[in-house]
Amino acid sequence: MTSVTGIIKNSAGFHLRPAQLFVEKANEFKAKVMVKNEKGMSVAGKSILGLMTLGVECGSQIIIETEGEDEVSAAQALLDLINSKFGEE
Amino acid sequence: MELLDIITDETVFIGLEASSQEECLQAMAGGMEKAGILSNKDVYIAAVAEREHKGSTGIGFGVAIPHGKSSGVQTPGLAFARLKSPVEWNSLDGKPVQLVFLIGVPEEAAGDAHIKILIALSRKLVHAEFREKMLAVNSTAELYQVLQAI
Repeated sequence: MTSVTGIIKNSAGFHLRPAQLFVEKANEFKAKVMVKNEKGMSVAGKSILGLMTLGVECGSQIIIETEGEDEVSAAQALLDLINSKFGEE
Repeated sequence: MELLDIITDETVFIGLEASSQEECLQAMAGGMEKAGILSNKDVYIAAVAEREHKGSTGIGFGVAIPHGKSSGVQTPGLAFARLKSPVEWNSLDGKPVQLVFLIGVPEEAAGDAHIKILIALSRKLVHAEFREKMLAVNSTAELYQVLQAI
């Protein structure tokens, strides 16, 4: 399993649009993706609704866990997406 | 954020007949206007359409959450429609939409008002039981019960 930690930097947090982009990116990989918020709540990283229920705000930390043959590239791609602020602002 | 505080009888549409996304949004925004949520329906719908253009709010499961932060909105509000027949929404899973939750927040509202509504809504929608019950409700009173219970 690969685990990376990222900080959500876009001002509106992890809402619908970022969640959609995250799921699209996650679906490019075979690896299973799980996302955890600071409270330890864990959801499937390929579910828009799941990600939205995390209620992650700007400045919060999330942990991305990937598992599968392409887990390292999946984790890196998802971390890059978060760091790009999902193309917002 | 309590969804029951921002939804009213005028903004609930059970068995709404609409043949397109535009028709659906027009009817629902009409209810929001009647309920005093909107000050300018056209300005609000333009904001919702612009958001939809950036990426569909069809999240899958036959559910869409269109939303707009706009100067055409007076006070945060939520409208719900269960469509008589599903309409095309360019959803991520390619399926047409039958449950529509339309959110409106004023332009000057605290930056995250609509995010709070989205989070509250997604925490309900994530339960298959909630989605099934929303597809089955027959009255506004029943809808309020489901919103309260799940």
